[in-house]
Amino acid sequence: MILYTPLTEYEIFGVDQNAFANRQFININGRTVHVERNNDGSFSILQLISTDPQDFLDETYAPGTIISGH
Amino acid sequence: MGKDTSKQDNQDQNNQSSLVQKIQQLGQSTVPQAPDSNIHVLPIIGQIEGHVQLPPQNKTTKYEHLIPQIVAIEQNPKIEGLIVLLNTVGGDVEAGLALSEMIASLSKPTVSIVLGGGHSIGVPIAVSTDYSFIVPTATMTIHPIRLTGLVIGVPQTFEYLDKMQERVINFVKQHSDIEEEKFKDLMFAKGNLTRDIGTNVVGADAVKYGLIDDVGGVMEAMSKLNDLIEKEKQSGEMLQ
Repeated sequence: MILYTPLTEYEIFGVDQNAFANRQFININGRTVHVERNNDGSFSILQLISTDPQDFLDETYAPGTIISGH
Repeated sequence: MGKDTSKQDNQDQNNQSSLVQKIQQLGQSTVPQAPDSNIHVLPIIGQIEGHVQLPPQNKTTKYEHLIPQIVAIEQNPKIEGLIVLLNTVGGDVEAGLALSEMIASLSKPTVSIVLGGGHSIGVPIAVSTDYSFIVPTATMTIHPIRLTGLVIGVPQTFEYLDKMQERVINFVKQHSDIEEEKFKDLMFAKGNLTRDIGTNVVGADAVKYGLIDDVGGVMEAMSKLNDLIEKEKQSGEMLQ
Protein backbone atom coordinates (compact mmCIF):
# COMPACT_ATOMS: atom_id res chain seq x y z
CA MET A 1 0.00 0.00 0.00
CA ILE A 2 1.33 3.44 -0.90
CA LEU A 3 -0.18 6.50 0.75
CA TYR A 4 0.09 10.03 -0.62
CA THR A 5 -1.21 12.38 2.06
CA PRO A 6 -0.14 15.35 4.16
CA LEU A 7 -1.26 13.48 7.28
CA THR A 8 1.31 11.80 9.48
CA GLU A 9 1.52 8.05 9.86
CA TYR A 10 0.11 8.34 13.40
CA GLU A 11 -2.95 10.25 12.27
CA ILE A 12 -3.87 7.38 9.93
CA PHE A 13 -2.83 4.29 11.82
CA GLY A 14 -2.85 5.62 15.38
CA VAL A 15 -0.40 4.53 18.03
CA ASP A 16 -0.49 1.14 19.67
CA GLN A 17 -1.12 2.07 23.30
CA ASN A 18 0.15 -1.31 24.49
CA ALA A 19 3.53 -0.75 22.88
CA PHE A 20 4.57 1.24 25.95
CA ALA A 21 2.62 -0.72 28.55
CA ASN A 22 5.76 -2.48 29.82
CA ARG A 23 7.46 0.81 30.72
CA GLN A 24 7.50 2.18 34.24
CA PHE A 25 9.40 4.36 36.67
CA ILE A 26 11.21 2.56 39.48
CA ASN A 27 13.54 3.59 42.26
CA ILE A 28 17.08 2.20 42.42
CA ASN A 29 19.26 3.32 45.34
CA GLY A 30 17.14 6.45 45.71
CA ARG A 31 17.36 7.41 42.06
CA THR A 32 14.35 7.46 39.78
CA VAL A 33 14.89 5.35 36.68
CA HIS A 34 12.62 4.83 33.68
CA VAL A 35 12.73 1.14 32.79
CA GLU A 36 11.24 -1.33 30.33
CA ARG A 37 10.31 -4.84 31.42
CA ASN A 38 11.92 -7.53 29.29
CA ASN A 39 10.30 -10.84 28.38
CA ASP A 40 12.34 -12.71 30.98
CA GLY A 41 11.11 -10.46 33.82
CA SER A 42 14.27 -8.37 34.06
CA PHE A 43 14.31 -4.61 33.41
CA SER A 44 16.35 -2.57 30.92
CA ILE A 45 17.16 1.01 31.86
CA LEU A 46 15.80 3.56 29.38
CA GLN A 47 16.46 6.82 31.19
CA LEU A 48 17.87 8.06 34.46
CA ILE A 49 16.10 10.96 36.15
CA SER A 50 18.70 12.71 38.29
CA THR A 51 20.23 16.13 38.73
CA ASP A 52 23.65 14.81 39.76
CA PRO A 53 25.80 14.80 36.61
CA GLN A 54 28.03 12.11 38.16
CA ASP A 55 25.10 9.69 38.25
CA PHE A 56 25.17 9.75 34.47
CA LEU A 57 28.75 8.47 34.55
CA ASP A 58 27.81 5.62 36.88
CA GLU A 59 27.57 2.46 34.82
CA THR A 60 24.85 1.11 37.12
CA TYR A 61 22.40 3.59 35.62
CA ALA A 62 23.67 3.62 32.02
CA PRO A 63 20.90 3.23 29.44
CA GLY A 64 20.59 -0.40 28.35
CA THR A 65 21.86 -1.84 31.63
CA ILE A 66 19.82 -4.85 32.58
CA ILE A 67 18.66 -5.17 36.15
CA SER A 68 17.25 -8.44 37.42
CA GLY A 69 13.60 -8.53 38.46
CA HIS A 70 12.48 -8.50 42.08
CA MET B 1 40.79 -26.68 38.32
CA GLY B 2 37.92 -27.41 35.93
CA LYS B 3 35.56 -25.56 38.21
CA ASP B 4 37.88 -22.55 38.24
CA THR B 5 38.08 -22.40 34.44
CA SER B 6 34.32 -22.52 34.05
CA LYS B 7 33.95 -19.78 36.66
CA GLN B 8 36.54 -17.71 34.79
CA ASP B 9 34.70 -18.37 31.50
CA ASN B 10 31.45 -17.29 33.05
CA GLN B 11 32.98 -14.06 34.29
CA ASP B 12 34.56 -13.39 30.91
CA GLN B 13 31.19 -13.85 29.29
CA ASN B 14 29.56 -11.48 31.76
CA ASN B 15 32.22 -8.86 31.14
CA GLN B 16 31.83 -9.26 27.43
CA SER B 17 28.04 -8.95 27.47
CA SER B 18 28.20 -5.79 29.60
CA LEU B 19 30.79 -4.41 27.18
CA VAL B 20 28.57 -5.21 24.18
CA GLN B 21 25.63 -3.59 25.97
CA LYS B 22 27.62 -0.45 26.62
CA ILE B 23 28.83 -0.19 23.04
CA GLN B 24 25.27 -0.70 21.77
CA GLN B 25 23.76 1.90 24.06
CA LEU B 26 26.43 4.55 24.36
CA GLY B 27 28.64 3.89 21.33
CA GLN B 28 31.71 3.65 23.54
CA SER B 29 33.39 1.07 25.74
CA THR B 30 34.43 3.01 28.84
CA VAL B 31 32.77 5.89 30.55
CA PRO B 32 35.04 8.32 32.43
CA GLN B 33 34.68 8.48 36.21
CA ALA B 34 34.89 11.76 38.07
CA PRO B 35 34.66 13.04 41.67
CA ASP B 36 31.43 14.34 43.24
CA SER B 37 30.07 17.44 41.60
CA ASN B 38 29.08 20.61 43.45
CA ILE B 39 26.99 21.60 40.44
CA HIS B 40 23.80 19.77 39.60
CA VAL B 41 22.05 19.67 36.25
CA LEU B 42 18.30 19.88 35.71
CA PRO B 43 17.44 18.77 32.18
CA ILE B 44 14.06 19.92 30.87
CA ILE B 45 13.46 18.07 27.63
CA GLY B 46 10.51 17.33 25.36
CA GLN B 47 7.06 18.42 26.46
CA ILE B 48 6.42 19.75 29.93
CA GLU B 49 3.86 17.40 31.37
CA GLY B 50 1.52 18.79 33.97
CA HIS B 51 -2.00 17.88 35.05
CA VAL B 52 -2.71 15.59 32.10
CA GLN B 53 -0.70 12.48 31.30
CA LEU B 54 0.44 12.71 27.68
CA PRO B 55 0.33 9.72 25.30
CA PRO B 56 3.42 7.54 25.77
CA GLN B 57 5.01 8.28 22.39
CA ASN B 58 5.69 11.85 23.57
CA LYS B 59 8.99 12.59 25.20
CA THR B 60 8.08 14.48 28.35
CA THR B 61 9.52 16.04 31.47
CA LYS B 62 7.17 15.44 34.36
CA TYR B 63 7.00 18.28 36.85
CA GLU B 64 6.30 15.92 39.74
CA HIS B 65 9.76 14.46 39.06
CA LEU B 66 11.52 17.81 38.96
CA ILE B 67 9.96 19.69 41.86
CA PRO B 68 11.24 17.28 44.57
CA GLN B 69 14.66 17.41 42.90
CA ILE B 70 14.68 21.22 43.15
CA VAL B 71 13.79 20.96 46.85
CA ALA B 72 16.61 18.42 47.32
CA ILE B 73 19.05 20.79 45.59
CA GLU B 74 18.04 23.62 47.93
CA GLN B 75 18.43 21.37 50.95
CA ASN B 76 21.73 19.63 50.12
CA PRO B 77 24.67 21.73 51.41
CA LYS B 78 27.08 19.94 49.03
CA ILE B 79 25.29 21.36 46.00
CA GLU B 80 26.45 24.91 45.32
CA GLY B 81 24.91 25.65 41.95
CA LEU B 82 22.40 24.48 39.36
CA ILE B 83 22.49 24.41 35.58
CA VAL B 84 19.13 24.15 33.82
CA LEU B 85 19.37 22.56 30.37
CA LEU B 86 16.41 23.43 28.19
CA ASN B 87 15.31 21.79 24.99
CA THR B 88 11.56 21.91 25.15
CA VAL B 89 8.63 22.50 22.84
CA GLY B 90 6.55 23.90 25.70
CA GLY B 91 3.64 22.25 27.42
CA ASP B 92 1.40 22.75 30.44
CA VAL B 93 1.31 26.43 31.46
CA GLU B 94 0.81 25.82 35.16
CA ALA B 95 3.45 23.08 35.35
CA GLY B 96 5.88 25.35 33.49
CA LEU B 97 5.15 28.31 35.74
CA ALA B 98 5.50 26.07 38.80
CA LEU B 99 8.96 24.98 37.65
CA SER B 100 9.91 28.57 36.82
CA GLU B 101 8.89 29.80 40.27
CA MET B 102 10.72 26.92 41.97
CA ILE B 103 13.93 27.69 40.07
CA ALA B 104 13.58 31.45 40.61
CA SER B 105 13.15 31.00 44.36
CA LEU B 106 16.23 28.79 44.82
CA SER B 107 18.77 30.46 47.12
CA LYS B 108 21.70 28.90 45.22
CA PRO B 109 23.16 30.37 42.02
CA THR B 110 21.43 29.11 38.87
CA VAL B 111 22.29 29.34 35.17
CA SER B 112 20.23 28.13 32.22
CA ILE B 113 21.26 27.10 28.72
CA VAL B 114 18.72 27.03 25.90
CA LEU B 115 19.76 24.29 23.47
CA GLY B 116 17.86 23.52 20.30
CA GLY B 117 14.62 25.10 21.40
CA GLY B 118 13.05 26.74 24.42
CA HIS B 119 9.59 27.38 23.07
CA SER B 120 6.40 28.75 24.61
CA ILE B 121 6.41 27.88 28.34
CA GLY B 122 10.15 27.17 27.97
CA VAL B 123 10.62 30.96 27.85
CA PRO B 124 9.68 31.65 31.51
CA ILE B 125 11.77 28.64 32.59
CA ALA B 126 14.79 29.97 30.66
CA VAL B 127 14.56 33.41 32.28
CA SER B 128 13.85 32.09 35.79
CA THR B 129 17.55 31.49 36.52
CA ASP B 130 20.03 34.11 37.81
CA TYR B 131 21.75 34.17 34.42
CA SER B 132 20.61 32.70 31.11
CA PHE B 133 22.48 31.55 28.02
CA ILE B 134 21.30 30.57 24.58
CA VAL B 135 23.43 28.69 22.03
CA PRO B 136 23.62 30.49 18.66
CA THR B 137 21.48 27.89 16.85
CA ALA B 138 18.74 27.63 19.48
CA THR B 139 15.34 29.23 18.97
CA MET B 140 12.54 30.37 21.22
CA THR B 141 9.01 30.65 19.91
CA ILE B 142 7.01 33.34 21.64
CA HIS B 143 3.30 33.07 20.94
CA PRO B 144 -0.07 33.46 22.69
CA ILE B 145 -1.14 30.53 24.90
CA ARG B 146 -3.78 28.10 23.70
CA LEU B 147 -6.55 26.13 25.27
CA THR B 148 -7.45 22.58 24.34
CA GLY B 149 -10.45 20.48 25.33
CA LEU B 150 -13.92 21.73 26.16
CA VAL B 151 -14.23 25.47 25.65
CA ILE B 152 -17.38 27.20 26.86
CA GLY B 153 -18.37 29.99 24.49
CA VAL B 154 -18.71 32.78 27.03
CA PRO B 155 -16.69 36.00 27.48
CA GLN B 156 -15.32 34.59 30.76
CA THR B 157 -13.36 31.99 28.78
CA PHE B 158 -11.49 34.75 27.05
CA GLU B 159 -10.87 36.55 30.32
CA TYR B 160 -9.52 33.35 31.86
CA LEU B 161 -7.17 32.87 28.91
CA ASP B 162 -6.12 36.51 29.09
CA LYS B 163 -5.31 36.20 32.80
CA MET B 164 -3.23 33.11 32.18
CA GLN B 165 -1.38 34.95 29.42
CA GLU B 166 -0.78 37.85 31.80
CA ARG B 167 0.83 35.50 34.34
CA VAL B 168 3.34 34.32 31.73
CA ILE B 169 4.07 37.87 30.54
CA ASN B 170 4.52 39.17 34.10
CA PHE B 171 6.91 36.39 35.01
CA VAL B 172 9.07 36.96 31.93
CA LYS B 173 9.02 40.73 32.48
CA GLN B 174 10.12 40.36 36.11
CA HIS B 175 12.90 37.88 35.44
CA SER B 176 14.45 39.24 32.25
CA ASP B 177 15.46 42.59 30.77
CA ILE B 178 12.83 42.56 28.03
CA GLU B 179 10.27 45.38 27.99
CA GLU B 180 6.65 44.31 28.32
CA GLU B 181 5.76 46.14 25.12
CA LYS B 182 8.52 44.39 23.16
CA PHE B 183 7.53 40.98 24.49
CA LYS B 184 3.89 41.58 23.56
CA ASP B 185 4.95 42.80 20.11
CA LEU B 186 6.84 39.54 19.56
CA MET B 187 3.99 37.50 20.96
CA PHE B 188 1.29 39.00 18.76
CA ALA B 189 3.37 39.51 15.59
CA LYS B 190 1.80 38.36 12.34
CA GLY B 191 3.48 36.79 9.34
CA ASN B 192 6.45 35.24 11.15
CA LEU B 193 5.05 31.83 11.93
CA THR B 194 3.20 29.73 9.40
CA ARG B 195 -0.49 29.58 10.29
CA ASP B 196 0.09 31.14 13.69
CA ILE B 197 0.67 34.39 15.54
CA GLY B 198 4.00 34.98 17.26
CA THR B 199 7.74 35.15 16.60
CA ASN B 200 10.52 32.62 16.41
CA VAL B 201 13.50 34.28 18.10
CA VAL B 202 16.91 32.83 17.22
CA GLY B 203 20.03 32.81 19.47
CA ALA B 204 21.59 36.26 19.28
CA ASP B 205 18.19 37.95 18.71
CA ALA B 206 16.95 36.67 22.08
CA VAL B 207 19.93 38.44 23.65
CA LYS B 208 19.30 41.60 21.58
CA TYR B 209 15.68 41.79 22.85
CA GLY B 210 16.88 41.39 26.45
CA LEU B 211 15.09 38.10 26.90
CA ILE B 212 18.26 36.08 27.46
CA ASP B 213 21.44 37.43 29.08
CA ASP B 214 24.12 36.06 26.77
CA VAL B 215 24.97 33.80 23.84
CA GLY B 216 27.00 30.79 24.94
CA GLY B 217 27.20 27.10 25.65
CA VAL B 218 28.57 24.78 28.32
CA MET B 219 31.87 26.59 28.83
CA GLU B 220 30.30 30.03 29.30
CA ALA B 221 27.57 28.64 31.53
CA MET B 222 30.03 26.76 33.75
CA SER B 223 32.37 29.71 34.18
CA LYS B 224 29.44 32.06 34.91
CA LEU B 225 28.04 29.62 37.46
CA ASN B 226 31.45 29.27 39.11
CA ASP B 227 31.69 33.08 39.27
CA LEU B 228 28.26 33.30 40.89
CA ILE B 229 29.16 30.55 43.39
CA GLU B 230 32.37 32.41 44.24
CA LYS B 231 30.44 35.67 44.79
CA GLU B 232 27.88 33.85 46.94
CA LYS B 233 30.67 32.43 49.10
CA GLN B 234 32.30 35.84 49.51
CA SER B 235 29.07 37.53 50.52
CA GLY B 236 28.42 34.67 52.96
CA GLU B 237 31.83 35.28 54.55
CA MET B 238 31.17 39.01 54.83
CA LEU B 239 27.90 38.36 56.66
CA GLN B 240 29.74 36.24 59.21
